[in-house]
Amino acid sequence: MTGNETPLEAAHASVRTLISEKLRYLLPMTVIFMVGYIGLTALAGFARDLMGSKVVGSLNLGFVLIAFNYLLSWVLAIVYGRVAADKFDPLAAKATAAIMEAGKPQ
Amino acid sequence: MSLTLGIFIVILLITVGITYWAAKRTSTTADFYAADSALTSAQNGFALAGDWCSAAAFLGFTGLTALYGMDGAFYALGPLVAFCTVLFLIAEPMRNTGRYTLGDIIRSRMQTRTSLLAAIVGTVVVNFAYLMPQMAGAGVLVRLLTGISYDWAVIFVGASMIVYVTFGGMLATTWVQIVKAVLMLSAGAIILLMILSMVRLDLLSLFAETERKYGANYLLPGNYLKNPFDQISLGLGFALGLAGLPHVMTRFYTVPDAATARRSVVWVMFLAGAFFAGTTLFGLAAADFVGLDAIRAADKGGNLTLPLLAQYLGGGKATFGGDLMLGFVSAVAVATILAVVSALTLSTSSSIAHDFYVNWVKRGQVDGKREVWLARITTVVVGILATALGLLAQGVNVAVLVILAICIAASANFPVLILSLFWRRFNTGGVVGGMTVGLVSSVVLAMIGPAMRGADALWPLVNPTIVSMPLGFLGAVLGTFLWGRDEENERRFDAFLLRVHTGAGPR
Repeated sequence: MTGNETPLEAAHASVRTLISEKLRYLLPMTVIFMVGYIGLTALAGFARDLMGSKVVGSLNLGFVLIAFNYLLSWVLAIVYGRVAADKFDPLAAKATAAIMEAGKPQ
Repeated sequence: MSLTLGIFIVILLITVGITYWAAKRTSTTADFYAADSALTSAQNGFALAGDWCSAAAFLGFTGLTALYGMDGAFYALGPLVAFCTVLFLIAEPMRNTGRYTLGDIIRSRMQTRTSLLAAIVGTVVVNFAYLMPQMAGAGVLVRLLTGISYDWAVIFVGASMIVYVTFGGMLATTWVQIVKAVLMLSAGAIILLMILSMVRLDLLSLFAETERKYGANYLLPGNYLKNPFDQISLGLGFALGLAGLPHVMTRFYTVPDAATARRSVVWVMFLAGAFFAGTTLFGLAAADFVGLDAIRAADKGGNLTLPLLAQYLGGGKATFGGDLMLGFVSAVAVATILAVVSALTLSTSSSIAHDFYVNWVKRGQVDGKREVWLARITTVVVGILATALGLLAQGVNVAVLVILAICIAASANFPVLILSLFWRRFNTGGVVGGMTVGLVSSVVLAMIGPAMRGADALWPLVNPTIVSMPLGFLGAVLGTFLWGRDEENERRFDAFLLRVHTGAGPR
């Protein structure tokens, strides 16, 4: 960031950085949970026998995958919480500070 | 019965106490619509759990799993995964951009009256489609659980929600939801512990036992949803529909900032998610211990599975423990319904009073005191209307309405919301296009589908989301292009983006 841009331009620049940073994490995470979950429903619809294959005792692959989806959602939630606090919040705070600066009477 | 009634009266007294306490603290519009945005993430997390887990979740998932095996487990998983969409894409932008309603976001993005009207239609239609089956379900359940007649049950539920929301606004609604969530989770934890001791920590034996009793087919998918595309459609409906349900999304206005909103989603994912996972075990346990014949005999839809399981675990029929557990779970079920219908009533009257009357009709020229008064009157009217619809719905197949509500949310509200937040060129034409196409295709496909017409269905899927959601997006994109470039709107988008991602914005 150079010294001769206005506070508002600085704000826009930090928000652009924030958005690209968000995309970097959110795109893969969204793809993971959508593929994981919608893929599971597709398997339930089209691969009934596969879902019924036994893993331990009477417990079949379908229930294991359902349990895995619970874990996946929880892990993603925690990861998102961490990433947002560590990476997104500082960038958002920087942009907010620039907006406040821009809002001050010159 | 009398024990259920006793426990329920205690819960009712608590909620009335909450309403009295909340009423004294509710005077401004910010109080009424958003509990002054002063909740902590844990409080909002519990309230979200209370808001999102309807009777369909509390009683229905257990029943579906007991009766149909794996498909019930799918039903329970979707509502948790849905929060991934909300967490990643919606919760924080929502908190940063709007104040009280979904309409606020569309209005601040488009700044046109037409787009606001479209947002109001989306909110009110989805809420009523959701509210009506809740009321009808309340009538049936309260009758089954307490023995009073359907009509009186609906009137009682309607009157309670009107009292909570009219006097206590969002603050009372929130604490009714928190109390309900705590009760629901305690009931779940107690039942889980009892099951664990019953099977001596060997949960796998639940699977083995059901398989032995009901055959290998029981643990396979496809026993409830026969059409494979219906499985996927249901999944999509959940994954995207939650983000378009106004009564849940407005919960993010009750916290002070985006970081708190985000943390409250993580809370609800663990609270509600744990409960949803539990329902799968409860369903299997009920099939093992109570038996499918007894479950069907009590209610052919399986809605009394959880109360019956609780009774069995407590010691069985005509024992004090059994009666106590039955009474407790039944009372929590009624509390569950009250919490959800209150949220729906509040969200609907907020949209009508704040979006429609104040911002659309009066163009924002209404002072705060008057707006609160108007919102309270609207609450009473909406509540009476919902009660009347609930009374009329007796015996009508309302299942299609639940599907419809979530389907419209995913097909109309979700595309409009997500494109408003993230697409520069998106304009008023797109809002109208997305809302219209999403809404009409959902309604038409649901009406000609098997849920409504049974064997005469003109269209094979119970849940149309897999088609209507892409159509909604298509309508939004086509509408945007047909409307033409809106240069000023696109220029404003930079300032809007600042607000979406930081909550602050240049004025």
